[in-house]
Amino acid sequence: MRKKNSLIKPLKILSKKLSTQPHFVEQSNQQEIEIKKQKISRNYKRNLETFKDLYSIPDNIDVKIREFTISSLNRRAFIIYLSTMTKLAYIQTGIIDDLVENKDPDRNIQDIVSHPLVRNVEVIEDILLGINAGSAALFVDGDNKCYLFDTVEIKSRGIEPPQNEVIVKGAKEAFTEKVIDNIALIRKKIKNENLIVEFKVISKRSRNDVFLVYEKDLVNSELLQTIKDKLESLDTDSISDLSILEQYIEERPRSFFPTLLYTERPDRAASFIEEGHITLLMDNSPSCLVLPATFWSIFHSPEDHYLRTPYGNFIRLLRVIALFVALFTSAFYIAVTNYHVGMIPPDLLMAIAGTRERVPFPSLIEVLMMELAFELIREAGLRVPSPIGPTIGIVGALILGQAAVQANIISPIIIIVVALSGLSSFIIIDVSFNFAIRMTRFLLILSAGFLGIYGITAVLIIGLFYLSSLKSFGIPYFAPMTPYFLSSKDLLIRHVPMKDRFRPGYLKPKDMVRRRKG
Amino acid sequence: MKQQQVKLGIREYVCIAFLMIGMKGTEDTPSMLFSHVQNAAWMVPLLSGGLFFIPFFLLLKTLSLFQDKNVFEVIQQLLGKYIAFFVSFIIFIMNSYAISLDTRTYTNIIRAYYFTTTPRLVLYGILMVVCVYAAKKGIQRIGSISYILIFYVALSFFIAFWLSLDDSQFASIFPIWGPGKLELLKAAPSGLGLWGEFFILTSLYSFMTSFKDFRNGTWIAFGCVVIQLSLATMLFIALFDKGLVVIGYPFHVAIRYISLGEFLPNIETLFFPIWLSAAFIRFAAFLFINALIFGHLFKIKEYQYLIPSLATIYLLIGMIPETPNDVAQLKEPLRYIAGPTFAAISIILWLTAWFKGEFKHAKNKNNM
Repeated sequence: MRKKNSLIKPLKILSKKLSTQPHFVEQSNQQEIEIKKQKISRNYKRNLETFKDLYSIPDNIDVKIREFTISSLNRRAFIIYLSTMTKLAYIQTGIIDDLVENKDPDRNIQDIVSHPLVRNVEVIEDILLGINAGSAALFVDGDNKCYLFDTVEIKSRGIEPPQNEVIVKGAKEAFTEKVIDNIALIRKKIKNENLIVEFKVISKRSRNDVFLVYEKDLVNSELLQTIKDKLESLDTDSISDLSILEQYIEERPRSFFPTLLYTERPDRAASFIEEGHITLLMDNSPSCLVLPATFWSIFHSPEDHYLRTPYGNFIRLLRVIALFVALFTSAFYIAVTNYHVGMIPPDLLMAIAGTRERVPFPSLIEVLMMELAFELIREAGLRVPSPIGPTIGIVGALILGQAAVQANIISPIIIIVVALSGLSSFIIIDVSFNFAIRMTRFLLILSAGFLGIYGITAVLIIGLFYLSSLKSFGIPYFAPMTPYFLSSKDLLIRHVPMKDRFRPGYLKPKDMVRRRKG
Repeated sequence: MKQQQVKLGIREYVCIAFLMIGMKGTEDTPSMLFSHVQNAAWMVPLLSGGLFFIPFFLLLKTLSLFQDKNVFEVIQQLLGKYIAFFVSFIIFIMNSYAISLDTRTYTNIIRAYYFTTTPRLVLYGILMVVCVYAAKKGIQRIGSISYILIFYVALSFFIAFWLSLDDSQFASIFPIWGPGKLELLKAAPSGLGLWGEFFILTSLYSFMTSFKDFRNGTWIAFGCVVIQLSLATMLFIALFDKGLVVIGYPFHVAIRYISLGEFLPNIETLFFPIWLSAAFIRFAAFLFINALIFGHLFKIKEYQYLIPSLATIYLLIGMIPETPNDVAQLKEPLRYIAGPTFAAISIILWLTAWFKGEFKHAKNKNNM
């Protein structure tokens, strides 16, 4: 590796020299940063001024400041909060009413206020963080600290059934945009004090936070440290969504194939946590990231485990077949009709040739056109407003299929081939993996057009080697099959749950055995 | 988690060995064997395997003394700097010669049976490009992919042989001694060349998890391959009988011959990709090992970067022969030389170790 770097390094330096960053004028906010680093003062007036200044009051309409006097103590106070992110009733009844109506002059603030106190904070920066996250900050004249109260209430939709990972048997709740609910959904499934929810701020300007969820007594500490370091090393202004974070922390962001598992199902997340994986959650993202992920974890569906063993294996085998059909049908058709005609039984060959008689295009162009049309219909079907959604299906099937055949643009067998491969690709449940398969399909079609079965095999072998060299946080893509690790052998075929005895060995979990023998 | 180098496990090693050497049953080897001893050809792998067992056993015994070194480092330690260089260089040259002609043989097969109109250079070039890509990924990846593919390879061979049973005449293996016992015994040493790859495979030892895995893996693979080659040859004899003399690549004729019921008369295209994948793996492993030897010879640590240039040279050498017949003729001397050379080197190594007292030394060390 070292040599490679030594070759590439001068090139990189050169390209850096050549492509200079564009010049732009920036306004310094050094003064503001300095203010934020300071502690608050004892002086009530000065604090008020500082915060009014920082929040640009009165331009900023949803920042509310309420000034009042705590008569029993005879001290001025003000409370500041974002009205759009807090529940007003909490502030009114739990904080202000208590303070104003208090008669006992000897009690201190914590004892007067009934609403739960988060903490006492001194540094302005930390106070701002609290307020921005929906807390109410109470400043009392003469105190050198501020009281932060947890008053956050953010509106979000309720917990709904999953949209993309639909299953028949099993839990039907999905993550929502509210991370608190998401954590609760996981906690509900793992009632254990070792389930840790850690919190990390990953971006500087928007201060997006990530929640690491894992089981302390299972997860490999080295792996955990690697992931924390990776999150620590992110140097950016804003990462607003988990799917963007995914691209930041992936080892190969340009690769066709995903190396992290993105799921919207809390039951799936929980089962991975119980194996010793680490999951990442973020506010505003109705999903979670499971890391590290292997080919198998991306390929499996939660339903494989919910269904009884034979049925679960049946749908898994179906999925394997679908994977091959989606990848190879079109390419195989081209290879066979162009290069290996002898393979087709004479009757069928006659039939195919008969339908192709009046078609002016070579079969490669035919297939490419139809595949492209299928992808277009698919994408259009996703984007159209739902009332006209069904129409698109009819238009797609009728116009593009029937009419194209009648107009002698494509032969009917192409419709069968493309429909089969397109339909099969829907069985691959993971969104990223689905894309990978669809894109690889085009590569295979082109290689089949170039050199028939030989081309397909060459691309396949290169692809396999590429896949096996992928790593997800140091874990090979095909682990635990090869390289071999101890595991409960849940790869293509799964055993009955009673035989699921080990956690995956490639994670090196602290507790390897799920179930002792006997 | 650290990006630790994943070692080559026993499964992967056995799969590489099986694909590298077992593939010989699917090229011109069976008919080559047949041309010498006719219908007793199926015994040659067994006999020469038995013969090769002795030096190979001694070699592994010698290697077990130096458990942290691969075969070339052992050669260096035992034979001294200069002789070791000479010996290793001969091995490298033989390997290079073999890989050039073998890749050419495979290109010939592909061209003769599947892509008759495609220019040879295109087919050959793609074969090499894929192998270079695979070899550059390292032996662990080659092992992984062999492990993934081995099931399909074995299954497809099995189906092919099973389908061919319908038209096979097992009576054609008689007279059981073929041209005569003496002829057969004479043919056995020339069959040693079949197992030369096992000698080269020992250089993979430093990538393995443990010496035990390496030794067991080697013996498992050796047993499987001996049986597989012998069985394959026997089946071809049963299927083609005397016709095997004129058939260059019996496996490919066999998969053209067989059919899947009435409906699918030509199923060779189903076997071809699997055979081809195995071929890619075989040459990827071969290329990797050659680069390894070259790196060892000339003290190049980052030997992976040699693979593309070596492959280009092999491609150029492989393009020299004009016809498949020339290739067969050029291969002939190698077949006679390679096996005995490897056997001789193994015995010499063992003898040197014996005289130097390495065995006693190791024993004492163990006793202490």
